[in-house]
Amino acid sequence: MALLTVEHVARIEGHGTISVEVENGEVRDITMDVVEPARFFESMVVGRRFDEVPLITSRICGICSPNHALTSVKAVEAALGIEVSERTTLMRKLLVYASYLQNHATHLYVFAAPDFVGLPSVFPLAETHPEVVERALRIKKLGNDLTALVGGRPVHPVTAVIGGFTKEPDPWQLGIFADMLREVATDVAETVSLFSAFPVPDFSTTGDMLALRDDKDYAIFDGETVSLEGGWRRPAAEYREFIREEIVAHSNAKHSTVDGRTFMVGSLPRLNISSDLLTPRAKDCLRAARIGIASRNTFHNNVCQAVELVDASERCAGYIEDLLDMGGDTTPVPYAIRAGDGVGASEAPRGTLYHSYSIDDDGLVSDGDVITPTAQNLANLEADMRAFAPTVTDLPREEFLLAIEQLVRAYDPCLSCSVH
Amino acid sequence: MAPRVVVIGLASDFGCQVQMTNIEDHLLEVLGLIDLTYWQLASSGHMPDEYDVAIVEGAATTQEHLDLLRRVRETAGVVIAIGSCAVTGGISAIANAAGIEEGFALVYGERGRVALGRVAPASVVSVIDVDYIVPGCPIDTDEFLHVLSRALHGLRDKTPRQPMCFACKTRENVCFFEKGQLCLGVVTRSGCHARCVTLGRPCTGCRGIAPEANLPAARIVFEDHGFDAERALSYISLYNTNEEVVL
Repeated sequence: MALLTVEHVARIEGHGTISVEVENGEVRDITMDVVEPARFFESMVVGRRFDEVPLITSRICGICSPNHALTSVKAVEAALGIEVSERTTLMRKLLVYASYLQNHATHLYVFAAPDFVGLPSVFPLAETHPEVVERALRIKKLGNDLTALVGGRPVHPVTAVIGGFTKEPDPWQLGIFADMLREVATDVAETVSLFSAFPVPDFSTTGDMLALRDDKDYAIFDGETVSLEGGWRRPAAEYREFIREEIVAHSNAKHSTVDGRTFMVGSLPRLNISSDLLTPRAKDCLRAARIGIASRNTFHNNVCQAVELVDASERCAGYIEDLLDMGGDTTPVPYAIRAGDGVGASEAPRGTLYHSYSIDDDGLVSDGDVITPTAQNLANLEADMRAFAPTVTDLPREEFLLAIEQLVRAYDPCLSCSVH
Repeated sequence: MAPRVVVIGLASDFGCQVQMTNIEDHLLEVLGLIDLTYWQLASSGHMPDEYDVAIVEGAATTQEHLDLLRRVRETAGVVIAIGSCAVTGGISAIANAAGIEEGFALVYGERGRVALGRVAPASVVSVIDVDYIVPGCPIDTDEFLHVLSRALHGLRDKTPRQPMCFACKTRENVCFFEKGQLCLGVVTRSGCHARCVTLGRPCTGCRGIAPEANLPAARIVFEDHGFDAERALSYISLYNTNEEVVL
């Protein structure tokens, strides 16, 4: 029996190792070993003041930090019974969705694209295909700059606090970004064309798909959890009842199931559940991408991310128009400290994110729980690897492992998130 | 020959490495100055045996990290520690307050086969000598470029040693203590241009204690505004759990 491994898989966030056991040319077992060390965030928050929680738990992930910061803010607000203004909610959506531009552009161009052109990294493309690298940097930079405009900096927002925002961007600056978001339309549409042109294996994921659904808006920051296969819809605040987490021996990240099945979260499930709510241009791009309206092909997650870039650029421009028109205030609302439990949920770039906290009479945290998108995806990712590997065993060893790596990267896993 | 650079991530949220990728405007210029030989986040390929500059993010939380850091120190001519986790232990070190074994039990229960080889989170600076630091949570992209540039030119570390209050005053912010809010600018290392305070949020101390901070005087400031030493130290511990801070 031979053991093939890819140690510290490149171009993903965090450290993980793929182990494949092969016997007589057949794959006996395959695992994704998350070696990224655990940081015990759930123990860190216990005993800390409620208003320190978003500061601490936003450090679970420097890549989708606006999501972690604001989802924990929402959980604390739910525990303390704080209602924020409509304007604050809209600003939060803008902050979270702006970070999608940065996240998806980075994953697509820096992490995924090199696979499709047979390169170790994106850097050589700077010489051979400068227009592609420049396009990637334009989208990523716009996402960063907008995140920084609203949140104060691109990583770990400063201004988004419990109850509101400590500072708002100048209206004229927001207006400039609305224009820039419209100008990036060609870049994001070309991203969809580029990724839908890359050939991907014919494959169907093994598990269910889950995402938040908000009937009024493409679900980013609100909504209920929907199971595509299970056909059910439940309040996200009940996540601890429908998501079962288990410790597995080979991984520092726990594995999750719903209804006894593994499941996928992220762009592909989101589009499957809410494509009717996409912006007009994003709908056009999705149709042109010809991936099928209800694709179950994990590899299509990349194209779906590209479609979300189109949606994010158009929708964020709309959010800005609304902010400029609506008036209102984002100054943090006053609140009193009281005991309570609260759950926050949002759609992060990689899927649904849940935070929950219990707060005591003195405002100190007595319990915390976080389930990240990648922690939900890992069991399904392994099930997919087991289903996919036998279809590529004819490939030479290097290409075989690369095919498995590509499947892993299609999930855009964030292992530092997964272990937290 | 361009200096061979490796980027190493220990236990962290990768935020500082993300900030490194956020140098869009200067990315191609920087890549022209260095030979980037290993960066797991951005490129396939193995960590080489020889290199000139090591950029290290994160805190050491496993025996493997400790061994790796010692090898890095023997190999690299220049080591740059980036981010709070690497410089003071940062948020990662909060786990030490509750105790690592207690944290393990809370998160994983009593099952013992995961998170093997775990050690108490430690900053890079506390494990090996480093040549340059870029403090902050996350690092500031411009400061990182500035330090990298000094490192490549062999210039000495010039990280500011004063407390952040000095920078805050030049930005003409109203002091948070005047508004009845606790702010750590009075003890925290400068160099961030008072970003958070200027954006309306008190300093949380992410850059660590300023070497030139007057801690006894800071205690008086805290107490005069209604925050006893215990409250102040608790707040300071957000980014300084591993540091000995006596007010």
